[in-house]
Amino acid sequence: MLRTALASALLLLCGWAAGAWLTLDYEVWTDEGARRLQVARQPVPVPAVTVQDSSGATLPLPTLLAEGGGVSIVDFFYTRCETVCLSLGSSFQQLQAALQAEPATGVRLLSISLDGARDRPADLAAYARRLQADPARWRFVRLPDAAQEQALLQRLGVVVVPTGQGDFEHNAALLVFNAQGRMVRVFDLAEQELALNYARHLAGAGP
Amino acid sequence: MKRITPSARQQALLGAALLLLAALPGLRPWLEAGMWRHMVLQFPLLLLAGALLAATLPAPARTALARWNAQGMTGLVAVGVVLTVLMVPRALDLALREPGVELAKFAALLLAGALLRLSWPRAGLVVQGFFLGNLLPMMAVVGQLYIDSPLRLCNAYLLDDQERLGRWLIALAALAALAWLAQVAWWLVRREAQGQALTQSEAPARENSTDGNGSRFIKF
Repeated sequence: MLRTALASALLLLCGWAAGAWLTLDYEVWTDEGARRLQVARQPVPVPAVTVQDSSGATLPLPTLLAEGGGVSIVDFFYTRCETVCLSLGSSFQQLQAALQAEPATGVRLLSISLDGARDRPADLAAYARRLQADPARWRFVRLPDAAQEQALLQRLGVVVVPTGQGDFEHNAALLVFNAQGRMVRVFDLAEQELALNYARHLAGAGP
Repeated sequence: MKRITPSARQQALLGAALLLLAALPGLRPWLEAGMWRHMVLQFPLLLLAGALLAATLPAPARTALARWNAQGMTGLVAVGVVLTVLMVPRALDLALREPGVELAKFAALLLAGALLRLSWPRAGLVVQGFFLGNLLPMMAVVGQLYIDSPLRLCNAYLLDDQERLGRWLIALAALAALAWLAQVAWWLVRREAQGQALTQSEAPARENSTDGNGSRFIKF
């Protein structure tokens, strides 16, 4: 009986340790929560992939993020999306409105297509017009190279699941990048105000 | 008991076949592509495979194990720990993208299946009831959380899939509880009948009544 009690206690301890490892010391329960916590603890540098904007110009993503020495709030979308991207679009519209109402803060918006194979520059331009995007503050890009697109999504922890009807579900969020091209924080869609304040703070504190 | 009987070998073969089924390169992605298939099909498949493979455990090993497993408690604690940890949503996501976690998941479920088979008959009503009384309500609560959550808890799975899994977990918890209660009721009725038979004609049928200590309820 003593052995049984000992073995059981040991097993419970192992279970506790496994749980602590899995939930980052019982702070998160989901992989998305773990991703956000890990990004906050250790910023993720963006890989040097090539992006193409709505005018057709191509440039490396780190260069785009460094432009103007500002801070970028980034989201992933695709132009045919009719579910979560719509709310992403409208929350970006609100962010744009907030940014237009104040003197230049260095905070800029960037929407990256996760369906680079189908979203051509013309599609991006049409989409930007539909959302009344201000080209000075809000840019739309796609990744022409599928392998680079995969690499970027994987590095940033963006998981895309096809729904079976030609649509995609993905862990939509507001990703905040600093001018050095590091993803420093991931905010929920509902935390748009928080994301903006954080980005402002980052832009103000930066050199 | 010492040599492996043909039936034990058959069980082991069946267990190995089930394990292969769960791990096959063509089938594993299909099983894991849906959240409910991952948890409600693949998990039990692996538990069953582990239970069947346990048939080959030689008698000395069983005896050695039994010394550390009074009333099947250690085994049931292990099963409870494994199932609890694997019910954390992050475990499913990680199993999909980290081969090491996937391997650990397979090993843990096989071991849990084997331990369940080796421990369940040794556990009395109280221990069985305690085990199920902890595990099943937790399953139902997790199921309800999966149904109620407006957010996707796993990045790899869709929201309606998550809801379906929630309903499955609640249904399975309820079914398991009912099955166990039915077993207990059946056992009580049988014991009463045997008790009456014993008082009516005292001496005979004694050897039949001796296993009525709450053991051997659910046999795999």
